[in-house]
Amino acid sequence: MAAVNGYQGNTPADPPATNGSKQPVPSTKTVDSQSVLKRLQSELMGLMMGGDPGISAFPEEDNIFCWKGTITGSKETVFEGTEYRLSLSFSNDYPFKPPKVKFETCCFHPNVDVYGNICLDILQDKWSSAYDVRTILLSIQSLLGEPNISSPLNTQAAQLWSNQEEYKKMVEKLYKPLNA
Amino acid sequence: METLGSSECNLGVLETLSDNEIQEVTESYDGFFTTVESLIAGTGDSSVEQEFVSHVYCLCKYGLDSLVRDHFLRSLEQAFEKSGASSFWHHFDAYSEKKHTNYGEEIHEVLCKALEEISIEKKCHEKCLSIVVHALQSFKEQSSDAKQNSDAENVHLLSRFRSMLSSTLMTTLPQHFPEILHWYFKEKLEELSVIMDEDDIRKHESDCMDLDEKLRNKNGEMDVDEGYPQGKYSRHDKLVKNIGKVVRDLRSIGFTSMAENAYASAIFLLLKAKVHDLAGDDYRTSVLGSIKEWIQTVPLQFLNALLSYLGDSISYSTTSSGLTSPLACCPSPSFSRVVTPSEGIVRWKLRLEYFAYETLQDFRIAKLFEIIVDYPESSPAIEDLKQCLEHTGQHSKLVESFISSLKYRLLTAGASTNDILHQYVSTIKALRAIDPAGVFLEAVGEPIRDYIRGRKDTIKCIVTMLTDGSGGNANGSGNPGDSLLEELMRDEESQENVGFDDDFHTDDKQAWINASRWEPDPVEADPLKGSLSQRKVDILGMLVDIIGSKEQLVSEYRVMLAEKLLNKTDYDIDSEIRTVELLKIHFGEASMQRCEIMLNDLIDSKRVNTNIKKASQTGAELGESELSVDTLTSTILSTNFWPPIQDEPLELPGPVDKLLSDYANRYHEIKTPRKLLWKKNLGTVKLELQFEDRPMQFTVSPTHAAIIMQFQEKKSWTATDLATAIGIPIDAFNRRVNFWISKGVLRESTGTDLNANVFTLVESITDSGKNESEELLAGDEESERAIASVEDQLRKEMTIYEKFIMGMLTNFGSMALERIHNTLKMFCVADPSYDKSLQQLQSFLSGLVSEEKLEFRDSMYLVKK
Repeated sequence: MAAVNGYQGNTPADPPATNGSKQPVPSTKTVDSQSVLKRLQSELMGLMMGGDPGISAFPEEDNIFCWKGTITGSKETVFEGTEYRLSLSFSNDYPFKPPKVKFETCCFHPNVDVYGNICLDILQDKWSSAYDVRTILLSIQSLLGEPNISSPLNTQAAQLWSNQEEYKKMVEKLYKPLNA
Repeated sequence: METLGSSECNLGVLETLSDNEIQEVTESYDGFFTTVESLIAGTGDSSVEQEFVSHVYCLCKYGLDSLVRDHFLRSLEQAFEKSGASSFWHHFDAYSEKKHTNYGEEIHEVLCKALEEISIEKKCHEKCLSIVVHALQSFKEQSSDAKQNSDAENVHLLSRFRSMLSSTLMTTLPQHFPEILHWYFKEKLEELSVIMDEDDIRKHESDCMDLDEKLRNKNGEMDVDEGYPQGKYSRHDKLVKNIGKVVRDLRSIGFTSMAENAYASAIFLLLKAKVHDLAGDDYRTSVLGSIKEWIQTVPLQFLNALLSYLGDSISYSTTSSGLTSPLACCPSPSFSRVVTPSEGIVRWKLRLEYFAYETLQDFRIAKLFEIIVDYPESSPAIEDLKQCLEHTGQHSKLVESFISSLKYRLLTAGASTNDILHQYVSTIKALRAIDPAGVFLEAVGEPIRDYIRGRKDTIKCIVTMLTDGSGGNANGSGNPGDSLLEELMRDEESQENVGFDDDFHTDDKQAWINASRWEPDPVEADPLKGSLSQRKVDILGMLVDIIGSKEQLVSEYRVMLAEKLLNKTDYDIDSEIRTVELLKIHFGEASMQRCEIMLNDLIDSKRVNTNIKKASQTGAELGESELSVDTLTSTILSTNFWPPIQDEPLELPGPVDKLLSDYANRYHEIKTPRKLLWKKNLGTVKLELQFEDRPMQFTVSPTHAAIIMQFQEKKSWTATDLATAIGIPIDAFNRRVNFWISKGVLRESTGTDLNANVFTLVESITDSGKNESEELLAGDEESERAIASVEDQLRKEMTIYEKFIMGMLTNFGSMALERIHNTLKMFCVADPSYDKSLQQLQSFLSGLVSEEKLEFRDSMYLVKK
């Protein structure tokens, strides 16, 4: 019988947990941009191969530290049928510092302000190097359908959230389709 | 001109004469005329002769000797033309209408007779001439002239007569006469050849007697026969004598060159026929030796005998330029034959041998394709050809002819890639024998390489040839290419030698030997292609050259190796290790690294397997339905280094599954933190089916085993149920189940639709057609393979690109071709890194457009919504 060794080594498809646990403590500050580059490249590979529906991201042509992301609204939420463009910019400390993530297109959401800034714990104090682009995008996608009403950036949206029908109308009114 | 000048001078003499004297001259002149006529006609007796002599004296007295000579010759010529020549040719008139091929037996006699007649005629004329000469001579002696002078005149007159004779014959020569001569010699030579062949056997017995025979012969009759001393071959003797006589007669009437042409062409024709006859279509024996021997026994013997019979080996050498060497100046023909062959014979020998080389070479070159097809067996023919070429130097002929036959016969759509490759390898080997420098190989190999590069399965065939060398060849044909592995080994040895040669510390002696062994490249060498040393003929190198890069070859080999290793059940990988080691020598350690890891996996597996089994023996007793771990051997792979493995879902029956997970657990205990992930569809299962009346043994794939094991619980299953039970798609199931049906173990009965067919176990032997228990490897009949082929990998690469393209287009909206290309180059850098050209990308993108995955608008690509 043939079997495959469970040990996967350092493949792109690595679960981030393994990687994170092996990394040196961030305080040493010895990370060089080369390892960031590698990490981002392998994340891109994983993202492309993973094929999660509704989320996507890709680096800009000349700069792997600047990515564009795309998420679609989950089904059975008020955001169904919409598509949002995001920008992700990584620092040299990545993955020990979270990337800066913003909405590029207008998104009417309690945790997103008019400039596209996002209030999400994992992008701030709850960040861990085990997270990656994929988990960030998935988190944002689920944030769309499950906002945190208690600490809103957009109070109008937070108030309207209770009325899902009205909210959906508002989303559609403000929504500008991509590639238009 | 000479004649004219002298008569003018004579006329001057006439003017000074008195009437009386003139009277005397006129009388003797008239008398001379009449006597000449009767003399030539042969009617005159001695009185006429005397009368003639007195007239000649008289005329000579007045200095009219040249007039005498001229007139006499003129009269002779006229007479000869009238009787001799015309009657001579008349003999052959009957054959003028016939075709060239066959003149019949009687021509020999006709020819002999005609020649005899004309010789008599000639003799008669010569007699007349001698009378004149004699008369002139005696006159001159009287007038006390120098003796030598008259001798010279004698010779001069005779030669004039001869040239007159032959020119007369030549001018009246009928067109078919050379043909007749040619045919005559041909017939006679063939006859001779037959006699020689017959005597050949006897010769061995009589070899020891030869010497006595010869001696006795010499002491006995020292006649013309001495040209051929072996008296016991009376038939042969007689024949040569006959021919010799004909040749001599022909020579005597001035047909020397024509006769020589005729017998030379007859000899060449015979030699050619002999070469073709000996060479034939059998390439397994060397024929050059026997051809040479034949040349020695038949044509040279004949020529020797002929030349010595004619006794003109000296005249021969004097006529043929000034090359006379001291060796050739042998006065006695019989002596020269025994000790040193005369120059004429040496010349003939060289001519004949060159002709034989050329003929054999042409013959072999024309058949070179076939010869190379059965190369190792046909190496004697190759060796012959090599020798021939060494003498003739017509290598370019070989190259041209072989290339054209290659194009016509091999490089066609009908020839399988395997055959082409085998032929290529044989060609390399065969031509290497002919030409170690590989210059001609370069030229010949090029069309093959160019052609075969266009074939898809080339790499696969080459790798198969490389790896299958050790084992028994699967396709059963004993092709020479099967020994490619040997080639690898040979290469290894030669590399060691090279290492020695390049050593800086080789002593002076060695250096001198190397230097003296140096040979210049053949002139045909293309200087652009490097010198001899770089052009070392290396079969593997040439094969890799076809593929283009060794990486491709290695990756194809890896797939094949993976397939092989996965099919192993006994960890016996000695031959694979050897192959990999050899390839490592050739392609370098680095490129074979993955293959080495694969082999190491097998070695590790063996060890781990033993450890696990040892550990399990100390464990608890097995339950009723549990299987002993001893029945299981595993192959543990480091997936990253193996080619992608085809995955197929499979639900194994409970006990087996339990066994596997137990095994995996034990592995985890030994090798923490590593875990085993089973590829359940791979591997082989040996199983024995116990029926009511008989046991049957099989070696099958796990899927097959899983199918049949389900019948332990239930005797009949519907297709859908069974497929669900073992967790494979219904179409895959249908494909597999056929195996058991064909073995007579299961029976299929048609249900409402295909998926509802019912399979029932055939319990009793009488129900099935088969009655023998047989062991068969079932997995082989499937076309699918465990390892993704290189093409599959390529397709997979392209799907990676597709995902990247979709990814970038989703996030950037629309992009131009150029930008997609650059972005792929930038970010698609992992394992199969992006290495396609812009054109390749464009065609791939248009493929995606036609699949309606993308849209192409205003020279921009975007995702189709």
